[in-house]
Amino acid sequence: MTVDKELEKLSRTTPPAADPEARARALAAAMQAFDDAGNNAAVPQGNAKGWRQSSIINWIWSPAMNKKFLAGSALATLLVIPAAGYLAIELTRSGLPIVDQEKITDNISQNIAPKPAEPVTASPQLSEAATEEDGPAQSAAATDGQTSQDKEQQAAKPDALKSKLEDSAATAGLAKRAAPAAPGIAVEGQLLTEPMAAIVPSPAPPAEGRVQIQLDPGRERFANAAANPIKSVATDPVSTFSADVDSASYSFVRRSLTGGAMPDPQSVRVEEMINYFPYDWPRPENANQPFKATVTVMPTPWNHDTELMHVAIKGYDIAPATAPHANLVFLIDVSGSMDEPDKLPLLKSAFRLLVNKLKADDTVSIVTYAGNAGTVLEPTRVAEKSKILSAIDRLEAGGSTGGAEGIEAAYDLAKQAFVKDGVNRVMLATDGDFNVGPSSDEDLKRIIEEKRKDGIFLTVLGFGRGNLNDSLMQTLAQNGNGSAAYIDTLAEAQKALVEEAGSTLFPIAKDVKFQVEFNPERIAEYRLIGYETRALNREDFNNDRVDAGDIGSGHSVTAIYEITPRGSPAVMNDDLRYGPAEKAPAETSDSAHRGELAFVKMRYKRPGEDKSALITTPVGDSNAVASVDAAPQDVRFSVAVAAFGQKLSRVAAVDSYSYQAIADLAAASRGTDTFGYRSDFLGLIRLADGLSQR
Amino acid sequence: MDAELIERAQRGDREAFGQLVSRHYDFVHATAWRWSGSSTDADDIAQEVCVKLGGAIRSFRGASSFRTWLYTLTLNAARDHRRKLAREERTFRAYAAEPQQDGPLGNDDEVSSELWAAVRALPERQCDAVLLVYGEGLSHAAAADVMGCSETTVSWQVHEARKRLKAMLGQEEV
Repeated sequence: MTVDKELEKLSRTTPPAADPEARARALAAAMQAFDDAGNNAAVPQGNAKGWRQSSIINWIWSPAMNKKFLAGSALATLLVIPAAGYLAIELTRSGLPIVDQEKITDNISQNIAPKPAEPVTASPQLSEAATEEDGPAQSAAATDGQTSQDKEQQAAKPDALKSKLEDSAATAGLAKRAAPAAPGIAVEGQLLTEPMAAIVPSPAPPAEGRVQIQLDPGRERFANAAANPIKSVATDPVSTFSADVDSASYSFVRRSLTGGAMPDPQSVRVEEMINYFPYDWPRPENANQPFKATVTVMPTPWNHDTELMHVAIKGYDIAPATAPHANLVFLIDVSGSMDEPDKLPLLKSAFRLLVNKLKADDTVSIVTYAGNAGTVLEPTRVAEKSKILSAIDRLEAGGSTGGAEGIEAAYDLAKQAFVKDGVNRVMLATDGDFNVGPSSDEDLKRIIEEKRKDGIFLTVLGFGRGNLNDSLMQTLAQNGNGSAAYIDTLAEAQKALVEEAGSTLFPIAKDVKFQVEFNPERIAEYRLIGYETRALNREDFNNDRVDAGDIGSGHSVTAIYEITPRGSPAVMNDDLRYGPAEKAPAETSDSAHRGELAFVKMRYKRPGEDKSALITTPVGDSNAVASVDAAPQDVRFSVAVAAFGQKLSRVAAVDSYSYQAIADLAAASRGTDTFGYRSDFLGLIRLADGLSQR
Repeated sequence: MDAELIERAQRGDREAFGQLVSRHYDFVHATAWRWSGSSTDADDIAQEVCVKLGGAIRSFRGASSFRTWLYTLTLNAARDHRRKLAREERTFRAYAAEPQQDGPLGNDDEVSSELWAAVRALPERQCDAVLLVYGEGLSHAAAADVMGCSETTVSWQVHEARKRLKAMLGQEEV
């Protein structure tokens, strides 16, 4: 029997019928993607074209070969020579470093995404390509007008454009091509943009090693908004936001940098980077007052004319002996995609660490979800630790992901083993598309919001890379009274689940909101660093129905404002001509608050309560320090992290502040650094510095 | 029919898009199955393709036929999937570890698992070419459209693949 005969048989095999459930899931997912694409037409997600990402050589060659317009040998000679020159240029071009390609991607995504109606203006890189393209085309056209027409027709596949080009090529020939501002130019730009867009985002399908470090922007989705703008105190004296103790963004940034690529600016949430580090802020004395706020006003390291107002909050630390019983449900994604070393195996080790940390009376249950959701372990006391551990060991990856049923099952188990006055928490571990089921993100959000009322909290742990749906993780955690963390290494699992188990597991307050009011007599402008995704409306602060972040035992939360004093040269907004300039001083001058810079208010609810309590702290000159060096060590370190985060997310304010300066600031404030987190951070700054110079 | 659905979907018509996807789901699934060899993987790949379609249908320009475009999307998704699972390596290892069988397995219409494994262990482009030409029954020219290369390249890939398969299956030159 020959290979040929064998191969013939390949066509005779009938594929198995598609699983109707998988089919339904896929269709639902398609509709979701279709709607998303419609809604977020402005947000480019990688290669939206879905075209094959082949090398530019194929792009040039394939139409040429297929259409056989090299048939005439004389003609072929004429065309091949300039084409070879062009190829040589393109070959060297595709060898450019990734940094440049990213730049191109940026340009292109701006071009293609938002407004299809307008003629696309070619970005600098593209117009270069356009002129190069003109070279061979023109010389060919000079010798044979017919060829040029053929070529243009082939390029102008889109039918609407075709007739236009035929006309222009036939009547005006070369002149049209050269004429500036003629419609032909705009059309050409468009034609060029599209194939380029299809090719550029993935720089040359590379060797296996490089695949590892490539971001696939189409698959990883991040929740972020544009950086907070500078606000004028005269018009917006009040800034309101929700507390946040998530740290997912820092781990993601670290993973990206250690993998050799600058993180996607969208993936950087500055507040999460700041709050990643443990700080030794002054603690509240007793459990009656769950937080203490410490405010420091200091000069801004990256701007001589502004100051930083640093607000640090520390939650009360519950002593381990008095920690309540825990009822944990692990909801684990075991879909096929989890079968990678940094996913399921890491997840297993992470949960083993956590189980070892629990007390004998705590209970653990395990639910998996893949093609179908299943309960792997009924609620089991930690006293039977071996039973739990072997259940974790038996987990295996396989199947597609269907999250909605899994989360129902997990919440049911959590309810079944509910511990009154204890910790009831679902811990969801996933690598990405959690919700590939019949229900939409919105439905899922609703389910979780409903369950929140039962007193069951949610922690979302992200694993792996390549498909991480960060925005969904955020949504779930924020709506489920929970937190989100991204686990990239076992050390991170140790930090999130063991060292910080208290804060992750035992909430001391929920719906924690901040409101800062600035005194227009002292402060002209302010800018909140980070917290873009957590902004609240001013009126939400006093509205107890509005959900906000939670704080666990021993957690610390840090918020930093860059403030511009009145009269500083850095003021961006002019005074209002018709503003309440006369009235404002009259009002405040009566009161005793004249010298204050700002007034910080916090609202929180104790777990299980529905009414919020208020803590307030006035900020005056007594909070100010004269120089950066005079600020407490942890304050300086958190400011360095803030600077780094802003630099990674390309905030203009820190443009002139170098990575080296950040590294110096961080190195000088490293302190004892028991677990080495801060030293790691210094390493990341150096990596970013190196990568940014490429 | 397709053309009309595509046009409506591109204008944002959900229903038209839904119809379009359900019309072609089985085709995508079947292709995905041929490339991955497992129906669970095919489920995942087909879903991935559906999601991509949702995002990309608006920019589909009809430069190639819709079928060709679907092939391209599916092949790319299958390749991503394979990379993700590092399947290539494992299959190859599994294949190498299996004792060689004499003669064909099962009846004549059944393709031996040996051949499947061998085809999937080919370098990606060769595997694509073989599956498109023999599995899907496309002409070399049509396969070239899908693969975004020239017809002669496809022929060459197929030729190379056959040489390699002969070697892998331990057959003598015919």
